[in-house]
Amino acid sequence: MNTSANREHLSDASNPLGLEGIEFIEYATTKPQALGQVLEMMGFRPVARHRSREVLLYRQGGMNVVINAHVSHHPRALQPTERPVITAIALRVRDAAAAYRHALDRGAWAVPTHVEVMELNIPAIHGVGASRIYFVDRHHEFSIYDVDFTRIPTVDANPPAIHGLHWFGVVQYIGNDRLEDWTEFYAQLFGFAALPDEQRFGILHKGRVLKSPCGTFFLQLIEPEPGIVEIEGEESLQRVAFGTPDVTAAVAALRARGMSFVESASMHTSERGALTQTQLGAVMFELVRQAS
Amino acid sequence: MSQLQGNFDDFGMDTITMAGPLSAKLRAIREAGFSQVMLSARDLVGHADGWHAAVAEVQASGLRVTGFQVLRDFEGLSGHLHEYKIDIAKSMLEMCAALDCRVLLVCSSTSTHASADLDAIARDLRKLAMLAVPLNIKVAFEGLSWGRTINEFTTAWDVVCRADVPNLGLGFDSFHMVASQTSLDDLDMLDPRKIFLVQLADFMWTEVRSFEERMTTARHFRVFPGEGVHSDALAELVIRLDKLGYRGDYSFEVFNDDYQQIPLEAVADRARRSAVWLGEEVLRRSVPLPNAMRLRGREQLRG
Repeated sequence: MNTSANREHLSDASNPLGLEGIEFIEYATTKPQALGQVLEMMGFRPVARHRSREVLLYRQGGMNVVINAHVSHHPRALQPTERPVITAIALRVRDAAAAYRHALDRGAWAVPTHVEVMELNIPAIHGVGASRIYFVDRHHEFSIYDVDFTRIPTVDANPPAIHGLHWFGVVQYIGNDRLEDWTEFYAQLFGFAALPDEQRFGILHKGRVLKSPCGTFFLQLIEPEPGIVEIEGEESLQRVAFGTPDVTAAVAALRARGMSFVESASMHTSERGALTQTQLGAVMFELVRQAS
Repeated sequence: MSQLQGNFDDFGMDTITMAGPLSAKLRAIREAGFSQVMLSARDLVGHADGWHAAVAEVQASGLRVTGFQVLRDFEGLSGHLHEYKIDIAKSMLEMCAALDCRVLLVCSSTSTHASADLDAIARDLRKLAMLAVPLNIKVAFEGLSWGRTINEFTTAWDVVCRADVPNLGLGFDSFHMVASQTSLDDLDMLDPRKIFLVQLADFMWTEVRSFEERMTTARHFRVFPGEGVHSDALAELVIRLDKLGYRGDYSFEVFNDDYQQIPLEAVADRARRSAVWLGEEVLRRSVPLPNAMRLRGREQLRG
């Protein structure tokens, strides 16, 4: 994408951070092998290890997933648990330092990073719950993984995507009456815009869908089920969704790799989308029909 | 249980009214039958065993935290002053979140270093509100009657509208409205869903004209609603807020030097009398049936 806008770094009011998609999604767990097996069933392959920490990089097509099992010795750092949780979304931006400053100016919380020798300092802000949002700009000329990771020998560093699987988006669970707060948060800091309620994808239509200013992925905000008793819903990044031009073919291929899908009267695989069964007590993936 | 009868669940006390350690204040407030308390940052940081111990004490009391106060002189600053205040704000937000408290009170700036530009003020408040989003905190902005640029709720409301973010709303203190003699008719311009907190207090003098007089009165001579000379105005205020659709909390923001030197139970008892008067006589709330369930807040707001 060598457009004139990119060349001249023209500021774009609707995309203030110069967002260009998702660079990686990070999970934390004390059982990285177990989560690795689940990712492999979804078509990912382990391609690299972190130089200094217990961190693995999985890849499929243009998607990177980082599994973090590193136990931090810093006070107040969040420690991985057995149940895998999504702990970070890394966003591709035109200029990471500029994007970071823009977000801080608009009211983001900076995350202090603890960088070891010869590692990249990737700027991060706090996201929902204990999660983080990273800004990465080294995705054109070379990759951040070339610096912080060492390749696993003999494996293909660029395993192809199964039936064109690519990032479609991330589903975030939010608390009661928090829809407007989070919509505004993503609009103010990043330039996300809410889609009209009629416009929905896949087979899970709840909540509100926000479109990234670069138009390449979505965030879906889902409130707790309405109830009589006041319960504060936990807020977290709940699952990721992959786009594929052919859901049925992708589901068949993933079944063959051992993944199982939810097939009930109310929710089942269709041409529009599919949902995997919950793995490791917490991990599920959604498929959504979308051209690559 | 007889002491707990009476429908004043929407009314709470403020720790600033009483002397003594936090634990004694919480006990007195709870034993007077209140279910909520407004806390100050000083309650936490001044605790002998540190602020985490204070948070644990509040949680053990069973009292709901109405709001957390107060971030002062925040808006309208630039450069290093702005950065400094952002750091202060973040510390307060973290304490507020640790208390599971949903409302941070921010009062309008008195600083001569602050800009009077309402759009600059709105921009700063919008940034503060965004800092508060991940912590699930609403920012209630209150116009002090001696604020430099914003000294009436009407101007505070203007700024809230300019900022236009969902978790920034109005903190409404009756003292400032009565002191600045803002018309009750101006209440009609407010969206009740954007009033995040109402603080009530009466006082003994009929008029407070100068900023100095307002400050002195506000900080030393407030009394509970019904104890001063503005009872009628307060009753009308509460009725009008109720008619407007406000269903949030009322907290007694009573700074009073005398109440700082009488037993806590005596102060809490005065607060209780005030709450019963407002709940039962003014708002004519009926006593709820035992085990009555309350529907979720959003539905109530629509009603």
